[in-house]
Amino acid sequence: MSIAEMARAASGTTRGGAAERAAGARPAIRWLLLAVGLTAALAMPWVMYPPIAFDIACFALLAVSVDLLLGYTGLLSFGHAAFWGTAAYTATLVSLQTGAPFPLAVLAGMVAAAVLSVPIGYLAVKRTGIYFAMVTLAFAQMIFFLANQWRSVTGGENGLVGPARELFNMDLSDPFFFYYAGLPFILLGLLAAWRVVRSPFGRVLVAIRDNPSRARALGYPVHQYKLGVFVISASLAGLAGGLFAISHGFASLQEVYWTTSGKAVMIVVLGGMGTLWGSVIGAYLVVQLEYFLSDAGFEEIGIVTGSIFVLVVLLFRRGIWGTARHTLEKLQRRRE
Amino acid sequence: MRSVAGRSAAVLAAAALVLTGCGQGGPGGGGGKISGDKVVLGVINDQSGVYADLSGKNSVEAVNMAIADFKKKHPDSAIKDIEVVSADHQNKPDLANSKAAELYDRQQADIILDVPTSSAALAVANVAKQKKKLHINVGAATTELSGKSCNKYTFHYAYDTYMLAYGTGTTLTQEGAKNWYIVYPDYAFGQDMNKSFTAAVEAGGGNVIKSDPTPFPNDNFSTFLLKAPKLNPKPDVIGTMQAGGDLVNLVKQYNEFKLADKGVGLAVGLMFITDIHSLGVEAFEGVTFTDAWYWNFDDKNRKWADRFQAKTDTRPSFAHAGNYSAALQYLEAVERAGTDESDAVVKELEGYEFDDVFARNGKIRAEDHRMVHDAYLAKVKEKSEVSEEWDYEEIVSTIPADKAFAPVGDTQCQMG
Repeated sequence: MSIAEMARAASGTTRGGAAERAAGARPAIRWLLLAVGLTAALAMPWVMYPPIAFDIACFALLAVSVDLLLGYTGLLSFGHAAFWGTAAYTATLVSLQTGAPFPLAVLAGMVAAAVLSVPIGYLAVKRTGIYFAMVTLAFAQMIFFLANQWRSVTGGENGLVGPARELFNMDLSDPFFFYYAGLPFILLGLLAAWRVVRSPFGRVLVAIRDNPSRARALGYPVHQYKLGVFVISASLAGLAGGLFAISHGFASLQEVYWTTSGKAVMIVVLGGMGTLWGSVIGAYLVVQLEYFLSDAGFEEIGIVTGSIFVLVVLLFRRGIWGTARHTLEKLQRRRE
Repeated sequence: MRSVAGRSAAVLAAAALVLTGCGQGGPGGGGGKISGDKVVLGVINDQSGVYADLSGKNSVEAVNMAIADFKKKHPDSAIKDIEVVSADHQNKPDLANSKAAELYDRQQADIILDVPTSSAALAVANVAKQKKKLHINVGAATTELSGKSCNKYTFHYAYDTYMLAYGTGTTLTQEGAKNWYIVYPDYAFGQDMNKSFTAAVEAGGGNVIKSDPTPFPNDNFSTFLLKAPKLNPKPDVIGTMQAGGDLVNLVKQYNEFKLADKGVGLAVGLMFITDIHSLGVEAFEGVTFTDAWYWNFDDKNRKWADRFQAKTDTRPSFAHAGNYSAALQYLEAVERAGTDESDAVVKELEGYEFDDVFARNGKIRAEDHRMVHDAYLAKVKEKSEVSEEWDYEEIVSTIPADKAFAPVGDTQCQMG
């Protein structure tokens, strides 16, 4: 099964977008879900350790940005660590050098990620499938080695430590408060992704995913569209990465390492490709699991996360959100 | 769990304390002030990855031994209750950073110990600075901890890249190995080691003919090894800064090419006894390296190692002993200060001189918080000389504490 076919199956947008129609018929449910989601987002730091709550938010946005490509355009990016990490380093550097308030630093990181994504995207979108994944991975590894070697700027393996967390003279070093300061930016990012998906632009992306030849025949410049969504996706990943670095108070090589890209893809597949909100749930599970395992006393953490991943892929091919939606639809159809 | 209720309770409690303090009229005295009525020691290290053997869970065990010894020595101490909490950072600085913050905030840890991997160590040091809680680093090698990134609440124990380089580089050069060829993994640790080693060799009157970076991680070192005997002048020693799996590969290939027979020796920048154990002593026969501590050095060490083995079924590495000593010296400092309040304990630790199972001529420098002690130049025994399991090292010479570590002025530390 190709990536595009898998994404199509998971997102349930075949058969003329039955899911969209079903959901559209019940706006009440949609509002309810939104309210539940927002409440959960606001309540998180009360029920768990605030920095972890913010990690979840950041990885959710990163995964959503990957899902824009994977789920909605059928492009598997295995190099989003490059954008996440570039933004993390840029935001940290800007904050350290200029002492700018954190939203400015994060914005600078986001811009850096967007700028970087133009040449990478330009070259990568000429390929599809596994070749696209390999090209993005190759560029991400280039960024990794650059960050590793350029010690005077990035600190090499030691990383960069200590950007301030201040806003208008308010001390946000308490992670509980920083969560609420950073959350609006994450929500804005999620809103942007949602808006992209629901826009005519997003519909064209889905058309390209499902049948690129037909999209081209209809007169859509496929490469430009792909490049467009690639830059948007990279910017969102950058937004998430910048916030992540500021929240942790440092940027390290881990941020640009391929495992970060892998983690993002894993979150998307767990949550459900082409569902956006599935990625949020996936992020919650993966980050919590990693955190939980770190003092649970298991020695083989990789085996645990790996098995869970294999199980989900074997049993719920649509991911968690995709499976839930599919089951609901089935029930509804039976009732009709 | 953090909640506003919890916070206001804390504020109320603080207010109540102030009020009762005033009520009694005058300062309540400094003695017996232990926060939460217990001292909590946190250990963050790698319990599932490449460093799990050389430190990992057994370091937590070593800290428990320190607590037992402390309680035995001070049966009527003001510290009634001592607890250990630990976490696996999986060598990820992000995780080390959040775990450290969580241990300080939510588990009321007074100190965090160990933390191997330089990036993770620097991240934790930064958290310690922000939270004004102690961090004694044992597992990481970077000199930055007591250099550019030093801070009031962070101490660096056991070893660092300077110690490793000085011990092996200078000593071997003075013993006649004038020409060196250095291979190092191309990341921060390797680059630092290359720099320190070159300086150490030159200080000993030797000469580094060539130093080559290798990819990291790397399986095939034949390019570098085969080049060595052909260099002009021919190097007396190859200095390798590889660690872990890379070191194992390099040593295997060094033996396969029989470079020792061609008159090219091998010196290792960083090696733990657990490396020798896992690859077998044959592979490392005759290799020289600097060790911070060896379990079979004397009776004192041996007795402690026996106790350690009874608990863990393995002999201790220097990291295990270092964690034991760090925990013990911290508790002693709390005892002397009569409180676990960070600033008071820091004051007790600064400039403190001591001897224990781990440290001979140990001293915690006040200027940069570098803990210095005697280091050892060690040689791996021939297989025929090994008389029992783990009996791998022969201590060639002792490097005195005041020589083993970088002089105070050189460390670029500005304690803020």
